Amino acid sequence: MQDISLHLLDIIENSVRAEARTIKVRVVNNISKNRLRIIVEDDGTGMDAHTLERAQDPFYTSKEERVKKVGLGIPLFKQNAELVGGSFKMASEPGFGTVLTVDFTLDHIDRMPLGNLKDTLLGSIIGHPEVDFFIHLIYRDRATEQCFHFDTKAIREELGDIPLTYPDVIEYIDQSLLEGIQNTNMEDV
Amino acid sequence: MKTLADLKKIREKAQEDMKLRGGNVRIKIVVGMGTSGIAMGAREVMKTFLEEIAARNLTDVMVTQTGEKGLSSMEPVVDLIEEGKPKVTYGNMNPDKVKKVVVEHIVNGRVVSDYVVATGN
Repeated sequence: MQDISLHLLDIIENSVRAEARTIKVRVVNNISKNRLRIIVEDDGTGMDAHTLERAQDPFYTSKEERVKKVGLGIPLFKQNAELVGGSFKMASEPGFGTVLTVDFTLDHIDRMPLGNLKDTLLGSIIGHPEVDFFIHLIYRDRATEQCFHFDTKAIREELGDIPLTYPDVIEYIDQSLLEGIQNTNMEDV
Repeated sequence: MKTLADLKKIREKAQEDMKLRGGNVRIKIVVGMGTSGIAMGAREVMKTFLEEIAARNLTDVMVTQTGEKGLSSMEPVVDLIEEGKPKVTYGNMNPDKVKKVVVEHIVNGRVVSDYVVATGN
């Protein structure tokens, strides 16, 4: 993975596979704390303590059809955060869901870039019309705080039976995300 | 700034549209979005499909994302599913190939056999 938003996409796919109906994504660019924080919270099947621990092991996968038992998504994300003085935390409860919190040191020279957050979110939202996404982007500086909220449930209610893949809807979501990313200074992090 | 009022307009336009042609989905596109697919560029493949659908105003196409299905060496992998026809799986996809598949397969109904890695179920 070349950037953080590709890892984010991978984590969102994990939540979808865990049958999440609601996925909350929060990205906090906190200049005063020198920290970039990603939080993904889902209401999927969740994991017990044993599975949660094994999920961080590269030689474990929940995919039973897989011949080679590897699962690199979570271990690589964890490694990329910890290598730059960040942290990786995962909490889960069977039947309730999973929360993942990943911190990166903002000014660390080896930190991977945030990358194309817009395309990650756009693809996930449109590619999983059965899932409600709550997106929350926050930029914090000593003096200012900029926020962006995006809630696909409200959009779906407004659209009725019009699918998210309707051309004008794709453009609407794309533009909204772009504005939100620009307003919270997340284009080039 | 985009508002929900913009969506209302879109909905009215789309409903007119659907009255004219019916609300059927003619082709379903499924982009493999497992870890290896993502690492090989599946996000850009997904994005290009969405761009082409918007640019060409394709209202009878649906795109979804799914996990990987054991074709890791051919990622990014895309399935095209049309009613009454065998499923076509394209492999080693990239944005340029996506554009070609949209024009040839989705618009003109000709399978791009050079990119096909599997057919049927």
